[in-house]
Amino acid sequence: MTTTMSTRPAFETARPTSKLEVMKQNLFKQKRQISLERAKLYTASYQQTVGQPTIIRRAKATAYIMDHVEISIRPEELLCGNRTVRPRSGILSPEMDPYWIMQEIDTIGTRPQDQFEFTTADRQYYRENLLPYWSGQSMKDFINAKITPEVKAAEDDLVIKLNQTDKGQGHIIMDFPAILQRGVGTYVTTLTAKQAAHPDNDFYTAALIVFKAMQRHFDRYATLAQTMAADESLPTYRRIELTEMAAMNHRLTTAKPQSFYEALQLLWMTSIVGQYESNASSLSLGRMDQYLYPFYQASQQAGVPADFTWEVLGDFYLKTDDVVLLRSAESAKCFAGFPTGYTVALGGLDKYGQYAVNELSNKMLDLYQEIQLPQPNLSVRINEQIPRRFLNKTCETIRLGTGIPMLFNDEVCVPGFLSKGVSLDDARDYAVVGCVETTIPGKTYGLHDIALFNLMRIMELAMQDLRDEPAVTYDQLRQHILDKIDDYVKIVTAGSDIVDLGHREFAPIPFLSSLVADCIDNGQDVTAGGARYNFSGVQGIGEPNLADSLYAVKKLVFENHEMSFKALVDQLNADFAGDNGEKLRQHLIHDFDKYGNDNAELDMECAKIFRHYALELGKYKNIRGGEFNAGAYTVSAHIPLGEDVGATPDGRHAHDQLADGGLSPMVGRDHLGPTAVLKSVSKIDNTLAVNGSLLNVKFSPNTLKGDNGIRKFADFLMAFTQLKIRHVQFNVQSRETLIDAQQHPENYAGLVVRVAGYSAFFVDLNKRIQDDIIRRAEHVL
Amino acid sequence: MPADKGLIFNIQRYSIHDGPGIRTIVFFQGCPLRCPWCSNPESQGAVRPMTWTKNGKTETISYWATVDEILDEIEKDEVFYRTSGGGVTLSGGECLVQYDFAATLLREVKALGINTAIETTGAMPLKAIKKVLPYTDYVMFDLKIMNPILAKRVIGDDVGQVKASFEAALATPTAQVTPRVPLIPGYTTKPENLQQIADYVHEVGIHEIHILPFHQYGSQKYEYLKRNYTMKYTPLLTPTEVDNIHQFFTDQKITAIVSGLE
Repeated sequence: MTTTMSTRPAFETARPTSKLEVMKQNLFKQKRQISLERAKLYTASYQQTVGQPTIIRRAKATAYIMDHVEISIRPEELLCGNRTVRPRSGILSPEMDPYWIMQEIDTIGTRPQDQFEFTTADRQYYRENLLPYWSGQSMKDFINAKITPEVKAAEDDLVIKLNQTDKGQGHIIMDFPAILQRGVGTYVTTLTAKQAAHPDNDFYTAALIVFKAMQRHFDRYATLAQTMAADESLPTYRRIELTEMAAMNHRLTTAKPQSFYEALQLLWMTSIVGQYESNASSLSLGRMDQYLYPFYQASQQAGVPADFTWEVLGDFYLKTDDVVLLRSAESAKCFAGFPTGYTVALGGLDKYGQYAVNELSNKMLDLYQEIQLPQPNLSVRINEQIPRRFLNKTCETIRLGTGIPMLFNDEVCVPGFLSKGVSLDDARDYAVVGCVETTIPGKTYGLHDIALFNLMRIMELAMQDLRDEPAVTYDQLRQHILDKIDDYVKIVTAGSDIVDLGHREFAPIPFLSSLVADCIDNGQDVTAGGARYNFSGVQGIGEPNLADSLYAVKKLVFENHEMSFKALVDQLNADFAGDNGEKLRQHLIHDFDKYGNDNAELDMECAKIFRHYALELGKYKNIRGGEFNAGAYTVSAHIPLGEDVGATPDGRHAHDQLADGGLSPMVGRDHLGPTAVLKSVSKIDNTLAVNGSLLNVKFSPNTLKGDNGIRKFADFLMAFTQLKIRHVQFNVQSRETLIDAQQHPENYAGLVVRVAGYSAFFVDLNKRIQDDIIRRAEHVL
Repeated sequence: MPADKGLIFNIQRYSIHDGPGIRTIVFFQGCPLRCPWCSNPESQGAVRPMTWTKNGKTETISYWATVDEILDEIEKDEVFYRTSGGGVTLSGGECLVQYDFAATLLREVKALGINTAIETTGAMPLKAIKKVLPYTDYVMFDLKIMNPILAKRVIGDDVGQVKASFEAALATPTAQVTPRVPLIPGYTTKPENLQQIADYVHEVGIHEIHILPFHQYGSQKYEYLKRNYTMKYTPLLTPTEVDNIHQFFTDQKITAIVSGLE
């Protein structure tokens, strides 16, 4: 049986004209539900492996899941591999943290953000079986026991927040090109030989267990497809498809893929195995248009109908929307609306330093225009060489208004990586992982989302410290902020290392590690430091508010001498209470310039502080010997992190949100249009934000109308490129549309909007985030 | 009036609907006309600092600036002009009222390799436009009321002067000229006026004009200036009315491009 599809009998018989539409509808028919299946299987395996090394137990548990999880092939699907039978189920991993689930067990169905049904029977099972089993022996227990009083104090100060203490680490791009070029069989052979040569190395043993389970998992789908194909009630075309799927999945147990169809099947199955192994956010897809292109060409040359290629790729897109991540209520506030992180980077540079774009890059944008779902989260790598045709298509796609694709600037990202010791070839090959973090695909364990570091909160604490200082000066305030940054940076790196260690001890990921260079060579899991690049990324939060606040204090207190420092601090502590307080607040808002208006004096104050933060962080090495990298993004955490900060000298009330995104101006404070915004953002040395930064810009649909609109938008993006800003993303929805969608959600089920480093269904977001999106400045002329 | 300074009332960045590329518009104080539909009424009258009252506060809205001071602002968006082929547009008011200063500014901008444009009504003696034309790449030239008597009476315009200025612009090979017709109900859209515009455009050998439908974006400013906005109740043109005017020009073998603020 051939799977090259050079002849496709199935394609010539009667079949639905809108396969993708059928699949898309099936995805959203049912309410989201929690599935205990993985947790139960994982636990059952763990009960059988007591006393064995953790990495072996993990591997066996993953294998056990793949051997026993219920599998399905849904109507019209061409690709196999559904994490759960019911679409968009939430998966629990109590081995990481059984407690948050218990705390939220009765509210998960009704909480404001990302609800899931949790059946009474399952809740009971959780309470009586899973919780008691994992209590006291989860990763969370390990981490909590290790947290030092210093780290705890910094968390209580609301300056730092450690992430990934309750779920898999994620934020990794596997070496998809390698597995597509070699096939699963080669990995089994290699690992078998390595294991024979190093019988004491548990990593090889563990990795082999999972790869062999992957082979069996493929065969389970092959058998299921064969069985379904025998169903005579199915139409002919479907039975032919199922027969082909059976043969293909069986073949892929060992063989390397030959066609685009096979490559996508192996790619998806690899991704699913990674999900079973770690249940983590952001096992991103890397540079799909680059590594899939040889397969795309091969299928074209073999005469595979373009419509079929389109459908298979469409099926792949839809599958990325099937996987949603169950987060705690707090985490769902920060990462609202299921940013699962199937992020893809299109275009960019090849190893010769030339712009890399091909027909598939274009097709992937075209397909997005048809499907328009939040995942895969497409991005385009832009640099000075980007061809206009591809840039125009990018602009046209952005104009749809869903915030996809976002843009990453090679002129910033490549030097950023070079500054961190990454080779030129590898730096040119970077891709996007998670929302806006960048990584070297297939070579990095980067803990890109390990901690948040609230710079605005530090300024607030610094002002409190100096309140009673009689002759305080501006320089003294600045210096005190810098000193505090140093203190907390030390603590946040220590805290990140504890979480890092927790994952090493509790959550090795041998399958995924085998697909990260140089783990197989080193015989080490990524969590043990086996990867080539070993970063940890800590996000500095609140730069725009810090810029505005510093400037206002400088002018109001130290230059204009309008009031004493102490009096200002007292007003802030009172949250601008009373008429005088409100008068001061209005004065602070309206009479002092703000970040986003291209005021060099103001912007540079913030730039200096960010530079200090990034360089200080860079002095530390993590437990894997890698560097700490600074980020400047909040995702949707600007709302919860704003709750942690009192009133600020930029006129912001206590507990109000911080500026959205990361580097975007505070909402409503920029009034000179988008060129001034870009200029302000460019003052902050984006190259230092190696881990990632985020800039939201909202355009009115009118601005982008017609060919002229596209031309000027593309010109604008070329200026963005030259200004060396790292990232930008756009919302192109009129205020009116969004307000109407908020009032009549029933009419806007499919409306996708940009939240932070990702897009989500507008109606899936809670009202606060919806309001925030509506408020973000709309640049219109 | 300081010799080396110009009186301006606004510098607006990221203008993308008037002229090529992404542009910065410098608004000049002063205009000899008194068009009742004016959307920048604060610019009308002599070149003197203008005040208005906004939210109970009296503000001086225009300020004297040197060429260097304006260049500092202009340079902020230089990267955007370079990538878009955009540049700087002098508007107003009538920027030709301060023609010496305008010419110096345009000369300096052009010397930087940045595209230059003016928006003008041509309502100044011929020497004014002649002074700036050598440094102007693009002229957006308003044609409003073409009947000399009506023009004089309604908006204070001298049609002979307008035509002379317009023809001087056309005669300048380095300047691209686009005639623009604001479509103001009851004023410029009268059939006889449209016919006069078409005839004149033919006479000078032009086949393309821009038409700018009436809007009321400036109405708020009349309140700040405590002036009566006489166009308050004038309805906007319907799409059909705009189409009809478009068709009128098409029938006259003139391409009319609908543009202006959106």
